[in-house]
Amino acid sequence: MSRRKPARVLPRAFLALHLLLVAVPILVMVMWSFTASWPWPSLIPEAFSLKGYAEVFGGANGAAVLAQSVGIALATAVLTTTVAALGSRALARYHFRGKELFRFATVLPFLIPTTVFAMGVQVVFLKMGFARTVGGVILAHSIVALPYAVTIMADVTAAAGGRLEEAARSLGARPLQNLVHVILPQLAPGILSSISMSYILSFSQYFLTLLIGGGMVKTFALEMFPYLTGGDRTIASAYGVVFLVVTFAVFLLVEWALKKFGFRAGQDLFNLQ
Amino acid sequence: MINRKLKRALAPYVLIAPACVLLLVFLYGVANGIVQGFGIMPFLGMTTPTFDYYAQALSHPELIASIKYSLYLAAVSSALAVVGGVVLSAALTQAKASRLFQLLGVQVPISTAHMLVAIAAVCLFAGSGLVPRILAALGLTTLAESFPTVVGAASGWGIIFVYLWKEIPFVAFCTVTIMANISEKFGEAAAGLGASPARTFFGITLPLCKGAIVKAFLIVFAFAFGSYEIPFLLGPTLPKALPVLAYIEFQDPDLMNRCYAMALNGIMALICTVLAAAYFAVLQRERKGGRS
Amino acid sequence: MSNRSNAAAMTRRGFVSLAAAAGAAVAAGSLTACTSGVGGEAEGGAGGPVAADVDYANWDAVLEAAKGQTVTWYGWGGSEPRNSWIEDVLAPTLKDKYDITLDLVGMDINDILTQLSGEMQAQVEQGTIDFIWINGENFYTCKENGYLWGPFCEYLPNFNAYIDPEDAEVAYDFGSPVEGFETPYGKTQMQMWVDSAKVPNPPTTLEALLAFCKENPGKVTYPEPGDFTGTAFVCCLIAGVIGKEEFEKLSMMSKAEATPEAVKAIIDPGLAYLRELNPHLWQQGKTFPADSTLVSTMYADGELLMNMGYGSPQALVADGSLPETTRSFIFETGTVGNSNFMAIAANAPHKAAALVAINEVISPAMQLDQYQVLGNMSVLDVEKLSADERAAFDSVELGAADLPMTELLTHRIAEPAGPVVPVIEQLWLDEVVGK
Repeated sequence: MSRRKPARVLPRAFLALHLLLVAVPILVMVMWSFTASWPWPSLIPEAFSLKGYAEVFGGANGAAVLAQSVGIALATAVLTTTVAALGSRALARYHFRGKELFRFATVLPFLIPTTVFAMGVQVVFLKMGFARTVGGVILAHSIVALPYAVTIMADVTAAAGGRLEEAARSLGARPLQNLVHVILPQLAPGILSSISMSYILSFSQYFLTLLIGGGMVKTFALEMFPYLTGGDRTIASAYGVVFLVVTFAVFLLVEWALKKFGFRAGQDLFNLQ
Repeated sequence: MINRKLKRALAPYVLIAPACVLLLVFLYGVANGIVQGFGIMPFLGMTTPTFDYYAQALSHPELIASIKYSLYLAAVSSALAVVGGVVLSAALTQAKASRLFQLLGVQVPISTAHMLVAIAAVCLFAGSGLVPRILAALGLTTLAESFPTVVGAASGWGIIFVYLWKEIPFVAFCTVTIMANISEKFGEAAAGLGASPARTFFGITLPLCKGAIVKAFLIVFAFAFGSYEIPFLLGPTLPKALPVLAYIEFQDPDLMNRCYAMALNGIMALICTVLAAAYFAVLQRERKGGRS
Repeated sequence: MSNRSNAAAMTRRGFVSLAAAAGAAVAAGSLTACTSGVGGEAEGGAGGPVAADVDYANWDAVLEAAKGQTVTWYGWGGSEPRNSWIEDVLAPTLKDKYDITLDLVGMDINDILTQLSGEMQAQVEQGTIDFIWINGENFYTCKENGYLWGPFCEYLPNFNAYIDPEDAEVAYDFGSPVEGFETPYGKTQMQMWVDSAKVPNPPTTLEALLAFCKENPGKVTYPEPGDFTGTAFVCCLIAGVIGKEEFEKLSMMSKAEATPEAVKAIIDPGLAYLRELNPHLWQQGKTFPADSTLVSTMYADGELLMNMGYGSPQALVADGSLPETTRSFIFETGTVGNSNFMAIAANAPHKAAALVAINEVISPAMQLDQYQVLGNMSVLDVEKLSADERAAFDSVELGAADLPMTELLTHRIAEPAGPVVPVIEQLWLDEVVGK
């Protein structure tokens, strides 16, 4: 194996550079989240303040809103990934009339501006009584996340193929056994990617949440956005930091849960080693 | 026997049913938005379809410049993002990067809101941002003073920077799984046969990843073309990106302006749909290629 | 943070089961079951029952009906001092005095209107929005479209006792008649500010401003008109060139009168002055920051020497974001000002509670507190205040960056009428930027 070592120097250098480029804006954000003032030309902030974090967690409901956002995002992730997994299975395993139309339709939501969809769907949801409910928000988020989830799941499902499954069946595995012990473990890397992508899309969704939730369904992104556009960098950055920390905590938890249920994530993003 | 055949024929439709429900809601919503562009707003008593708003939108003096500018931003961002993303993906695979690295290098940028990156870009690169400060502290005063503005630059480099920071990792995210698989399957074999890593990469890995790469490119392109937040914040006063133009009209409190805004959105959606068709054609070809 | 809601008060455990239910229900292929199930739970937490047929003219009946209601106040949520004031002062007062829960929903006015107009499109009779922080064009459009409930001002005891309904700033909002559909709650006025450590003599005339820009090339700019602040600043400059009287012709123009030609005829000398400034501004006036937020950021970082906005920057000085040496100033030729209003949505589910809350905001005690804490100029008629109340207003100690209320009010120019604003913005785009 030693002969392959030199081949890793260049990639590693590149990765180090990449990490640096990623880190700089994040560090600036972390710095700003504690900063009261940072005038020209000082290289470090002149006065520090915790007002940003006080604003994020302050008040009676700061934590409840955060919990609600995480709940909505997780529900969206599970819903979208389930729907996408089913659809992908149809695409990968079956020939049916309308297959190409279906494939085309699943990519539409990321090609049509969210504003167009959001304004139209707001009226529809209001008429159907979905608007201003957590369920309505989850449904709307799932639509936005669907094309990403289908893209991911379709690849993984196609790659997994059906042979292992057939083999298990011919050995007498019941459908449920097959699902739990063969199909899901094979799809695990895709499931994890799809869940994390859908989660992020839902957790950071502003405009759609606003229109569908009508201000009654409060999420973290909804509270963060006025500060992003409102110019208070300290508060905006504090929101950003909390946003990232919470997202990662959830990712790690999801991964841990999947492992606990015995799905090896295999060669996925989280476990390339 | 017949029963089983029927089951097999129905199975795909049962599988796609939940996705179809979501997509129908989506299409209904879009249709609802699109008709406003034709002046149909029943709640205001407007029910006669008209092309006036499209005519008005098409004769907008800034329209052509805006479309060009948006295409430019989207093309540059997505092309660079794909190159960077593929290199990152390859580096991740080659270096057998640790899981922690993946989390930090890929998931952090994907999880950071665009607006936050824009704010960080302003803090870093604005005329009195951190980078000019560092330059000044190093005594490079002229360089610090002539630092190109990140806000309102006609080249849109600030916008492109924000998109790249977010989308390079996204492209890597889309391609790394498949690339790792390929490298595992064929890499050893190719190396065993004496192929150089570069040849393996360009000869085997890249062609096999083409589908995923093209998909990622189109997603990034469509996003950069259609979203308004970053060009609104960092773009120049003239020309404005197309989504910014539509957004400003859309924000006008006069509801009649909605029709006009929706017409602009309709033009944007049309360009996106052409893109979608291209995307679809690519998918088709890729799958056919894959089957043969 | 600022937004408190019953609907949001869901426990974490409640949520996990919800999320699981959503996933499971869909896996079972029953999408409708999922959404109605989840929706039911959320609905249960939102707001109280709706009192029907209240005699709003009878204040006691209003107070009775408002008891126990949760009232939502929609307004811009990006001002931390204002959010804190509403939460820490106003909300507890309403709870203690009237058993009303105030729920502040902070979002952009455009988003609020999008939501409201969506509800109107879908003909939702019990909406989500009770009352709104609104003014100007937005008010005009909402009123024209029948989105607002009213007239209601006459129901409010404090309006009748302390506010002069004939006052032009009460009776008109950006030139359109208010007719009792909104109640003023604060006056604001454009001010500029500098760091006196860097700029000891701020430019208080237009000649001085031009000279100041020449001396400090690239260090001054303003937000692109279209941004609220940008438009107002440009208006101050135009008014300075053409004079207050000439400029205020614009404040009564109707939509039909506000043609580009008519407006241009009035403001043309002002546009010439703006073009004269251009070469000395940031980026030689070829491009302008898209919004006031960005200008504030650039100012705070030292890239710009001067910033501007409605109201004083005292709160920013107090929290350490700006230095103690920050000083406000206005032009000798005056600056534009307007009032903030509160209006009630036509489909507001808790109109009684909204009336009580609005009445409280314009009480002398709350107006005084807003002046003290937020620097909001009071909308109350000084003549109608008691001697004690007047003394209390007079004895408020101003921060170093605050300007005295009398100085502002004597240099106050009325804003152009709603329909004129987009015309000015377009003229600026056509004739000023990059010229």
